[in-house]
Amino acid sequence: MKPSPAARARFDWRDLIAEALAGLFARPGRALLTVLGAVLGIASLVATLGVAHTAGNQIISSFNELSATSVVVTTDRGFFGDNAPQVALPWDSESRLSRLNGVAAAGSMADVNIGGDLTSSVPLNDPLGQTEFQVPMVAASPGLYPAVRGHLATGRWFDEGHSERADRVAVLGAGAAQRLNITRVGQQPVVFVGDVDFVVIGILDDVLRHADLLNSVIVPEGTARDLYDLQSPTTVQIDTQVGAAELIASQAAIAVSPNDPALVRVQSPPSPESLQTQVESDVNALFLVLGAVSLLVGAIGIANVTLVSVLERVGEIGLRRALGAGRRHIAYQFLLESTGIGLFGGVIGASAGVLIVVAVSASNDWTPVLDARIPLAAPLLGAVVGLLAGLYPAWRASRLEPVESLRASGA
Amino acid sequence: MELEQVGRVFGEGDAAVHALADATLQVHRGDYLSIMGPSGSGKSTLLNIMALLDRQTSGAYRFDGVDAQSLSEGRRTGLRAHRIGFVFQAFHLLAHRDVTENVIMSMLYNRMPRSSRRSMALEALDRVGLSHRADFLPTKLSGGERQRVAIARAIAPRPTVLLCDEPTGNLDQGTGRSILDLFEELRASGLTVVVVTHDPRVGLQADRIVEVEDGLVELLPQSHRPALSER
Ligand SMILES: Nc1ncnc2c1ncn2[C@@H]1O[C@H](COP(=O)(O)OP(=O)(O)OP(=O)(O)O)[C@@H](O)[C@H]1O
Ligand SMILES: [Mg+2]
Repeated sequence: MKPSPAARARFDWRDLIAEALAGLFARPGRALLTVLGAVLGIASLVATLGVAHTAGNQIISSFNELSATSVVVTTDRGFFGDNAPQVALPWDSESRLSRLNGVAAAGSMADVNIGGDLTSSVPLNDPLGQTEFQVPMVAASPGLYPAVRGHLATGRWFDEGHSERADRVAVLGAGAAQRLNITRVGQQPVVFVGDVDFVVIGILDDVLRHADLLNSVIVPEGTARDLYDLQSPTTVQIDTQVGAAELIASQAAIAVSPNDPALVRVQSPPSPESLQTQVESDVNALFLVLGAVSLLVGAIGIANVTLVSVLERVGEIGLRRALGAGRRHIAYQFLLESTGIGLFGGVIGASAGVLIVVAVSASNDWTPVLDARIPLAAPLLGAVVGLLAGLYPAWRASRLEPVESLRASGA
Repeated sequence: MELEQVGRVFGEGDAAVHALADATLQVHRGDYLSIMGPSGSGKSTLLNIMALLDRQTSGAYRFDGVDAQSLSEGRRTGLRAHRIGFVFQAFHLLAHRDVTENVIMSMLYNRMPRSSRRSMALEALDRVGLSHRADFLPTKLSGGERQRVAIARAIAPRPTVLLCDEPTGNLDQGTGRSILDLFEELRASGLTVVVVTHDPRVGLQADRIVEVEDGLVELLPQSHRPALSER
């Protein structure tokens, strides 16, 4: 616009903002109370989204480490029951799977049927105490140790050679070792399973998967085949590289059972994204409704107060109209007032919501995670709510006739 | 401004109030007209119609030769903003805005350049002798001071027509006198002035006096003026 002397300085946005602000500040107490409605709504929305996101993220990070890299192949007949056709996992499952790209470690295992034989660490019965126990026996391939992320307290895990030679060696789970009273392997202690003696070469004190190994006597597969006529492994545990689980899961069945891939069961972790989404949607569904309801209540509050202030300011409206304000000037002014209340409520609400997220996170030792767009969008949402809430009152205000409103105001 | 058999009826049926009946009146550019009459006779009603604040229920009203009935709401609003200054009987000042802001209010919806609003408001306040109250709130003013703020607000945007409903009702002799001088001055500069009043002194200053009684409007003949001055 050219600054000519006859500049058309019609009532513009600067005047509009000034008038709307003056209108709000004329009754600051009421404006603040109205803002409170918007604050509550926006704050609960922001807090809901933030807490859900933080919690979801938290679950992911604890889940990631272990579960997201685990794929298990079994011959469980599962759903089909005993009559379902069954395939045997091949003895070389470990090497077949290890060849796949993205596999960090793989190892097979099977429960060994020892026919009720008891296990003891001394050859003779001791009448003074119990020395014989029922200890399950598990046959394992060399790769199982890394695949279950095991840790040895002492000694070593068996290797391919032990299996091939069917050496009578065993690794004891920590629980089994304690019962059998074996703490060291330096002296090559021996355990007896029934009449068969095994040299203990290691004690496994921790595994992150298949915790039942800790209470078992673990022997090489070749040994179990030789001594107990073990037919085949029943479970293959795969430790994948991060992010490869889905791919490996899709290839594992064909790798171990090229002819009947449908007959083996592959358990893979849910994809992290879907898990997070699920967690978030669980939390969100509940609280988003609450947030939306409080926002709605806030909106009704704004609409109500704006309407009251329209009725209260009938005189002012009449005066402005008499002084040449058009209907739209009046409508804009009241719309802007209610939008301003909503916007202000949105800003305060967003801050309050973020504080709640931080507080909840702190009390749970979580890292607060909040999509940066949420606190930015919140004031906008507040403004929109205010705008919508102001529509009807503003329309009402703009419909007032100047003389009638002047008279109604008690002139 | 031209009124032709203008009538205004409030309400309907039995409850109808005929506030104005067949008012015929011509006000020319630069006229100084006063409207007198007892309370409730329809003076304010007449003035409201002339100010395009109200619509007649019968007859025709022409503003600047244009039939008011044919004007859109937007045009009426525009004329109120640019051409008409109005002093309300009840002042109608905004309680939470200071005196200057109240005066500026009449220039908000005008084509007045933003930068000159304040200076024009202060000038108008100076003309009604209220410069020293420029930043007071209306609630802290006396009745007469409020009345003068209302007058300042009406004249600040420099309208071509000034319509005043009892502008001196709350003023003492001296201040009333100065307001009358102001009207005289404005009229001399080409403004059309219409003043509703009970005060014969105010009425007598006008070129013409219109008497309103029970909604009937009639021009007071010159011969009756001396009688008025004796009241
Ligand atoms: N909105 C309305 N509804 C009903 N009657 C009305 C309305 N406005 C005015 N009247 C009536 O019209 C008549 C004229 O009113 P008006 O305000 O014009 O009187 P006035 O001459 O200005 O009186 P005063 O000197 O006391 O100001 C009054 O009897 C009043 O009761
Ligand atoms: Mg009156």
